[in-house]
Amino acid sequence: MYAQFFGNYLLSHGVVTKEQLVHAMQKKSSVHLKLGTLAIHAGYMTANEVDQIIILQTHQDKRFGELAVSEGYLTQAQVTELLKIQNADFLLLGQALLDDGVIDNERLQSLIIDYQSENEICESDYSNETREIIDRLVENFFVVTERALSRYELSFIHLLFNNLVRFIGDDFTPTCPCLCQEYPTNYCVSQKVEGRFSIRTYLDMPESTCIAFASRYVDETFDSFDEYVQASIEDFLNLHNGLFSVNMSNEYGIELQLEVPNIETSELLTFEKESYLLPIIYPFGTIYFIFELLATDA
Amino acid sequence: MTLDDAKILISDDSILARKQLKDIIARYGNPTFLEATNGQDTIDIYKKERPALVFLDIVMPVKDGNAAIREIVSFDKDADIIIVSSVGTQSQLRAAIDAGANDFIQKPINAEQIHHIITSRFEGR
Repeated sequence: MYAQFFGNYLLSHGVVTKEQLVHAMQKKSSVHLKLGTLAIHAGYMTANEVDQIIILQTHQDKRFGELAVSEGYLTQAQVTELLKIQNADFLLLGQALLDDGVIDNERLQSLIIDYQSENEICESDYSNETREIIDRLVENFFVVTERALSRYELSFIHLLFNNLVRFIGDDFTPTCPCLCQEYPTNYCVSQKVEGRFSIRTYLDMPESTCIAFASRYVDETFDSFDEYVQASIEDFLNLHNGLFSVNMSNEYGIELQLEVPNIETSELLTFEKESYLLPIIYPFGTIYFIFELLATDA
Repeated sequence: MTLDDAKILISDDSILARKQLKDIIARYGNPTFLEATNGQDTIDIYKKERPALVFLDIVMPVKDGNAAIREIVSFDKDADIIIVSSVGTQSQLRAAIDAGANDFIQKPINAEQIHHIITSRFEGR
């Protein structure tokens, strides 16, 4: 889950273009983390030192670890430890960007430091992606609200990201949410969730994106914007809201009611209540979630 | 009864959900599928066709799943109804069982659960 937030960080800070990021996101599952990248991340070596070893490697047929030890940058124990590290997936994104030549080791080093301090993540956090850290990332991500997110809102967003990973794929980047008063629709479905936390949820995307989204969701290849594709968009939203209501019931003892999903026919939606637009970039296109907060007791 | 001789009613407002369920069941045999897209249709088709098994979504237009269950069970107390819903909370589950459902499946549906339901009710071919 870190890779998606790290991707947003890179994009919003102008480090990468959307195209570069999408390419790296797609690639990250097949990327191999290099020892140098791990050493920079662990703070054992500077980018400069890693670059020196890489230059040495062009002259000597030796492994990176071997050279780093003989040059005195790493101990053998550190090499062993780095090789055992459970790879943080945001580092895989960094490695993919390195491999693509979008950033260099020095840039990666400063990005890791800035990103970690901005989000108060420390070294040991990566091995266990605790809920607390993800919640903090979600909170920082939603700075637009200018208030702390309620626990219900946090649960909702956290689950949404998990469901995207689970049902559509982890190669997405959430872009910064913004307050939204009006929204011109593409193909848009909505569903109201009612109870002590009431929210109207919208999922919108162009027809071509719907086709790709549905193909992943159903795990079948669709090639036209047919009724199954349309139903997939509703189905995902309904599934997410259903799982959210299960979580709310289990965690907070709150019972929520779901209304039947609705296809929005108007070309322009206007929102009376506080509403947020959350665009999510996938390689196949951008999908748009909107949350209209109707009432909450949290 | 064999699965091939059975009528199975699938009631969900989503054409995708109906297709996915039919596709899974069709792996095990070739029953006659009946489809409904809202609670009232479900009741009407049940009364006319008397299917051996009903898969029913709860959140549906016109009349919701639980209202449909109550009406079907008052018509046929032996009706075999399985809820398939994205809202598997304890209270929803209780409400469905109280209304007369025999089982409750949380979406996304998993082929193993469907297989179990089918094999525990019908003979193989």
